[in-house]
Amino acid sequence: MLKYIVKRLLLLPPLVLAVSLVIFMFLRLSGAEPALAYLRAASIPLTDQSIALAERQLGLDKPIWDQYWHWLTHAAQLDFGTSYMTSRPVWDDILYFLPATLQLSAFALFITLALSLPMAVWAARYRDKWPDFSIRGLAFIGVSIPNFWLAFMLVLLFAVQLRWLPAMGYGGLSHMLLPGFAIAFMSLCINARLLRASMLEAQGQRYVRYARMRGISERRIERTHVLRNSLLPIITAVGMHIGELIGGALVVETIFAWPGIGRYVLNAISNNDYPVIQCFTLLLTMIFILCNLLIDIAYALLDPRIRLEANA
Amino acid sequence: MRFLCFITALLISSASLAESVIQFSWNTNAGPLNPHQTSPNQMYAQAMLYEPLVRYGEGGTIQPWLAKRWERSDDGKRYRFFLREDVRFSNGDTFDAQAVKLNFEQVLANIEKHNWLELINQMDHIAVVDKFVVDLHMKTSYYPTLQELTLVRPVRFMAPSAFPDEGHTGQGIKASIGTGPWVRTESVLGVKDVFERNPHYWGKKPAFDKVEVAVIGDPSARALAFESNLVNFIYGLEGQISPDTFSRLQKNPDLHTDISAPLSTRLIALNSGRFGTRDKVVRQAINHAIDREGIAKGIFYGTEVPAPFLFAPNVPYADVGLKPYDFSPQRANTLLEQAGWNLNTATGVRVKDAKPLALELIYHGHDANQKAIAEVLQANLKQIGVELALVAEERSRFYNRQKNGEFDLIFNNTWGTPYDPHSFVSGMRRPSHADYMAQVGLPNKASIDALIDQLLVSTDKSKRKAQYAELFNSLHDQAVYLPVTYQRVVAVSKPELGPPTMSNTVFDVPFSDFVQQK
Repeated sequence: MLKYIVKRLLLLPPLVLAVSLVIFMFLRLSGAEPALAYLRAASIPLTDQSIALAERQLGLDKPIWDQYWHWLTHAAQLDFGTSYMTSRPVWDDILYFLPATLQLSAFALFITLALSLPMAVWAARYRDKWPDFSIRGLAFIGVSIPNFWLAFMLVLLFAVQLRWLPAMGYGGLSHMLLPGFAIAFMSLCINARLLRASMLEAQGQRYVRYARMRGISERRIERTHVLRNSLLPIITAVGMHIGELIGGALVVETIFAWPGIGRYVLNAISNNDYPVIQCFTLLLTMIFILCNLLIDIAYALLDPRIRLEANA
Repeated sequence: MRFLCFITALLISSASLAESVIQFSWNTNAGPLNPHQTSPNQMYAQAMLYEPLVRYGEGGTIQPWLAKRWERSDDGKRYRFFLREDVRFSNGDTFDAQAVKLNFEQVLANIEKHNWLELINQMDHIAVVDKFVVDLHMKTSYYPTLQELTLVRPVRFMAPSAFPDEGHTGQGIKASIGTGPWVRTESVLGVKDVFERNPHYWGKKPAFDKVEVAVIGDPSARALAFESNLVNFIYGLEGQISPDTFSRLQKNPDLHTDISAPLSTRLIALNSGRFGTRDKVVRQAINHAIDREGIAKGIFYGTEVPAPFLFAPNVPYADVGLKPYDFSPQRANTLLEQAGWNLNTATGVRVKDAKPLALELIYHGHDANQKAIAEVLQANLKQIGVELALVAEERSRFYNRQKNGEFDLIFNNTWGTPYDPHSFVSGMRRPSHADYMAQVGLPNKASIDALIDQLLVSTDKSKRKAQYAELFNSLHDQAVYLPVTYQRVVAVSKPELGPPTMSNTVFDVPFSDFVQQK
């Protein structure tokens, strides 16, 4: 196992290097001109002079390979440059904003798991009865609703009409409930359906029949034989959900005025703020790679039949 | 009984001690609040802390502010300002002629950054005459000097003790210390900025103790924050609140709403150098075909008003009695017919010299209002046999097209008060502006540019007025612009703030004008 992990970690630097090159070049080949976006954001009229000055100040007047080499060598030392829009160091900003996003995403992941598990068990236990139909119906709605729309509806109901929860802002659990649920809803619906299907499949296995014949209670069979054997697909799904949840947080944060990285990055994207886009994309790539690695390890721990070393 | 009285007195005193707060929101933090720098400093906040020598009043009148009066030399090259003697910076330092001189010199030390502003280009030097008298010497008799001294940046004043020890303010400041009615006391990145009353303020003290500005980026989220009492004041141009939400809030009798006078013009530039729009008749027909009233009502719910002219009549020098192009598809059709643009009945598109009258309108892809106007215009032009293709562009590519003249029609705005009309017409002479590119095919382009050169340095007001009239008449006749609507600032406040006042510029948010409600 250790050998496998080390191998995967060793693959990380070349992968990150390749990704950095792709991001850098794609941004520059897109035809966008960050100096123009920068000047307009600063309410400075576009003149040949002001554009030339802005390009010089932003380092965009140098040949593209020089720009890349300069960025790469500095990025290796965690210096990702200065944001065109905020004039602050990008890495400092990312370190400032990212924890709030991770906090919200982690909370959404918690909601996903905490709600999808009982929903799936309930649906599987009462297969083709009203609890099953209602959860399947809810799951269908869940995967169809965009998270930003759900976010607005939740605020209207719980903050504006009922006044039970704060409409927005950064704070404790009460501030996280609405954005967390808005982000988690789709994932929890997918999870519930996935786990339900997996449980129904497990219920048909021979070891479940034998357990029944041994006179073990239904609840115990459900808990120890069905549920535990159905969890493996959920682990895979969680790997996918992490991406969904972080992506969802980026959009939903704007609605809830949550001081995460979402608003910062969306603003950077619409203003062609290259240093921010480059740093964030690279960071997200690393988060995804590491999450996948963790999922693989979790697989091995949960199911001894899987041997990572053999696959490696 | 005595105990009850004590409790009542305590309650009354605690109520009166409770802080009164204006809860505002903005889409980003206020920034470092450097008066001599642009982005990321937010202009609404710079205007709260830093004050100008003179202020922009209604209809473009210039009002005394930190300067109680001024004199202009006959040649228009020297302005003498007599400063108020009771002004202190928020740290207690005295505001005097030396502070004015040092501030202007800091701006001039970073002239490369500010030379887009003609005032800075034209500044020669500043001389202290007396402790409270200062002379501003200009290179030419640039007439909009006073008007540009009203700007939020970079010509407002911070305490010289807050300048950096080395370099100039363009490289950073030690602290944000101005003479304005507010001081910033707290800033939490991504969350809020807090402003409190300046204890040394020379003018009328604001009635409220604090202004808390939450960072809310989305207009719909801002509306929800308002409805859930997290925000009690909304103020600004489009982007602060959607027109339909404002229209809904207007109907609530418990709220105070108001709309300013026109502050800028939303327009579409027609390229006189490209096929189709090169023909003056086509440009005039387009001006007759657009349903401005429908756009103002249907898209902006009346928050913007139809714009028959390039500048609203309240803009200085702009009320020159032009005859509007009234909405008349019939008139547009007649004009095109007479000019030889014949309708191809099979395609529904007019043709001349075997070329169809097919044009492209470039809009900014993220701007929902531009897209909606573009769709209305497309339908309007179809009625007169003009095919209009709508092209959405990414932000910087949109500006690039403006700059390089790669458009038949493209959205644009006038610069708004206090830049209009002089800065906008000044930009018409610069090849990097959409206006220059739009006008490049006009037969009288050279004389237009020469006229602008003359009027900007004209010292005779009546002559300048005539020159502006000639310019606006010419541009209107050439129909090189398609004015759409006049943009106005909207304001909504909760009952505890009372009715808002509307300022004369976009960036001076009138926090100080609220009166405590009983």
